[in-house]
Amino acid sequence: MSGPLSVVLEQVEAGISSIAEMSRRTGVAPDVLRASLDHLVRTGRIATQSLAIGCPPAGCGGCAVKGCGSGESSRTNLTLLSRRRAS
Amino acid sequence: MTEPALKQLPLLAVRPPSMKTTCHSAGAGLGAGEDAPVVALVGSPNTGKSTLFNALTGSRVTMGNWPGTTVEVSRGVWRTTRTAASCTCQECDCEPGEGRVDITLVDLPGAYSLVPDSPDEALTRELLVDAPVDERPDVSILLVDASRLSHSLYLASQVRERPLRVVLALTMLDVAAKRGVELDLSALSAAVGCPVVGIDPRRRAGLDELAAAVRDLVAEPVPQPRPHPEGITDSLAIDDERFGWVSAAVEAATLDHGSQQASLSDRVDRWATAPIVGPLLFLAVMWAVFQVTTSVAAPFQDALDGFFSGPLSAAAGALFAAVGLGGSWVEGLVVDGLIAGVGMLLTFVPLMALMFVLLALLEDSGYLARAAVVTDRLMRAIGLPGRAFLPLLVGYGCNVPAISATRILPSARQRILTSLLVPFTSCTARLTVFVMLGAAFFGPQAGTVVFAMYVASIVIIVGVGLLLRGTLWKGEVVEPLVIDLPAYQMPTVRLTASVTWVRLKGFLQTASGIIVVTVCAVWLLQSVPARGDAGFGEVAVQDSVYSVAAQAIAPVFAPAGFGTWETTSTLVVGFVAKEAVISSWAQTFAVDEPGDSASPGTLGDRVRADFTESSGGHPLPAAIAFMVFLLAYTPCVATLAAQQREIGTKWTVFGVALQLVVAWSLAVVIFQVGRLFW
Repeated sequence: MSGPLSVVLEQVEAGISSIAEMSRRTGVAPDVLRASLDHLVRTGRIATQSLAIGCPPAGCGGCAVKGCGSGESSRTNLTLLSRRRAS
Repeated sequence: MTEPALKQLPLLAVRPPSMKTTCHSAGAGLGAGEDAPVVALVGSPNTGKSTLFNALTGSRVTMGNWPGTTVEVSRGVWRTTRTAASCTCQECDCEPGEGRVDITLVDLPGAYSLVPDSPDEALTRELLVDAPVDERPDVSILLVDASRLSHSLYLASQVRERPLRVVLALTMLDVAAKRGVELDLSALSAAVGCPVVGIDPRRRAGLDELAAAVRDLVAEPVPQPRPHPEGITDSLAIDDERFGWVSAAVEAATLDHGSQQASLSDRVDRWATAPIVGPLLFLAVMWAVFQVTTSVAAPFQDALDGFFSGPLSAAAGALFAAVGLGGSWVEGLVVDGLIAGVGMLLTFVPLMALMFVLLALLEDSGYLARAAVVTDRLMRAIGLPGRAFLPLLVGYGCNVPAISATRILPSARQRILTSLLVPFTSCTARLTVFVMLGAAFFGPQAGTVVFAMYVASIVIIVGVGLLLRGTLWKGEVVEPLVIDLPAYQMPTVRLTASVTWVRLKGFLQTASGIIVVTVCAVWLLQSVPARGDAGFGEVAVQDSVYSVAAQAIAPVFAPAGFGTWETTSTLVVGFVAKEAVISSWAQTFAVDEPGDSASPGTLGDRVRADFTESSGGHPLPAAIAFMVFLLAYTPCVATLAAQQREIGTKWTVFGVALQLVVAWSLAVVIFQVGRLFW
């Protein structure tokens, strides 16, 4: 049996980087894939990590663009998901 | 459920209903007392459950913690009145308004799943599933968010595995419609095997239909649970089957196409993240950014340059002459040092502001995040850890936080590898030098030259990455990952202005601090004699400590076409911070030609003349070689400090050596090959 959860895990293993690309490759609706991904995160099979593009909020203390990662620019943060291996 | 709990708050203890499907019989004798049917509201948080409960019960509500728990459960009376729309009598002559059915409505705690992961979910499961059959609710209204149908239907898949009377109440249909999702409720009903009603509790729409569906269902026998594959014990396989059921229901119920027809973000991403078109599109966007930046800002930059090197310097000189300090070291420090150095920095304000605005627009719109996908794919293609894309992206702003960002990498070896690659990313401090040299040597093509430096940066990273991976980093396992991209959005003026101002202010504060310190240091070194009889502050710059030290290093760069002490010295200053490269150039040429302040010419003209001399008449390849050297050698001492902190002294020294070797080799090859053509 290969349901949406298996599909998502296979796509993560294959290094597919976005829901849209997963949907294009598998034909499964993006909404279903997103729900499956959320479920895998909720059940601990996939780990999430929030990634901010830009400098840390407090600045680095030594660069020419310190403070650039502060404030509302975090609107476009990425979420990085990686498969958790069974221990 | 414990016995005392039931006695204290008998929310669900009901007798089997004895109603028939006529208005009269359904309404007769029923209040929200012991005879009243009990209906439970079930659903995930944020599906509109509480809003529906309030809409149905009004003020007829009691609230309290479920005995033995801290979980709050609300109970109320739902007075349903027969209306023409809700009358489902088969044989009925009743008038509208006749026949009232009072229902005991229980708002169960929000739950994503019947496999409990919280006290709320545990209580919902206990009351809905684990309770004895005659203590379960007569009907469960399962709220489903139509705009997130797949998310909500997972709970439905679990509920439908139980012998329960269920009505699906679809909320957020307006939100779904705005996203282009159109649902066929009949098809959804057939797919999930229970009645489906569309409601909007805030506008009290669909509530009569919901009441009719509930009253109908109360009279029906408990339906058979949905078939469930036998012999599956693995929790992943069980959930996989459930999501397969969800997927089939979504597919059956989705008329158009909003969910299958891609959203605007998905449609754009089809191109923006495509394997071939995506990188090309990204490169085109970045080229446009640099081209627009350099061409639009150039007139402002020239005007500011003319102001600082012309009227302002002349006025300052006249002022010093008037107070008797003309030709003194004080005038040299202020006019040739601070005004020349800080003034040169300020000429870049229009350019940096414009570029920060454009980058903020790209970032705020969500497009810049797509670079992550493109870069990630590149990383994986060359066998580097995919996560390395983030520090490398950050590095294009500043290398120091990029080094810190390598902490997201899971293994120490990957962190070291990525830390060694970060210094090859072209930070904004280098940008000013690229722009100045691009304008001086390539005129209107300056934007393309700057863009080419960014492409060169990527090529160097890939090349060095492959080199290291093929030697010191053999056998590294690349970990898969998924990037959940934010949707595109319209950039806002307020946010764009705010981000631009913060970055510009940061650039000016840091760069001006660095420049003032280095200007003073360079002035001091240029004032100290290394040979000859002149005293402090009176020595010809060629005989100063600054110049003599640079002259000792300069021959190393002769094969690269820029072996003069004036240019070599800027590389030494640039080792401290790239922001100071141009100011030290400006300072050196101002001191070198002190009588030139009346008709100064541009710094670019002087640098071009210097390169023409050092390259034997091949200034263009020499300038490109210099820019590539500047791109590839050590960014600044702050980056070294960050590297030392993250990967230790040994690897930091290795990195510096690697950068110098790569930078010098590339510069020499570029000049020696380039001089054959230019």
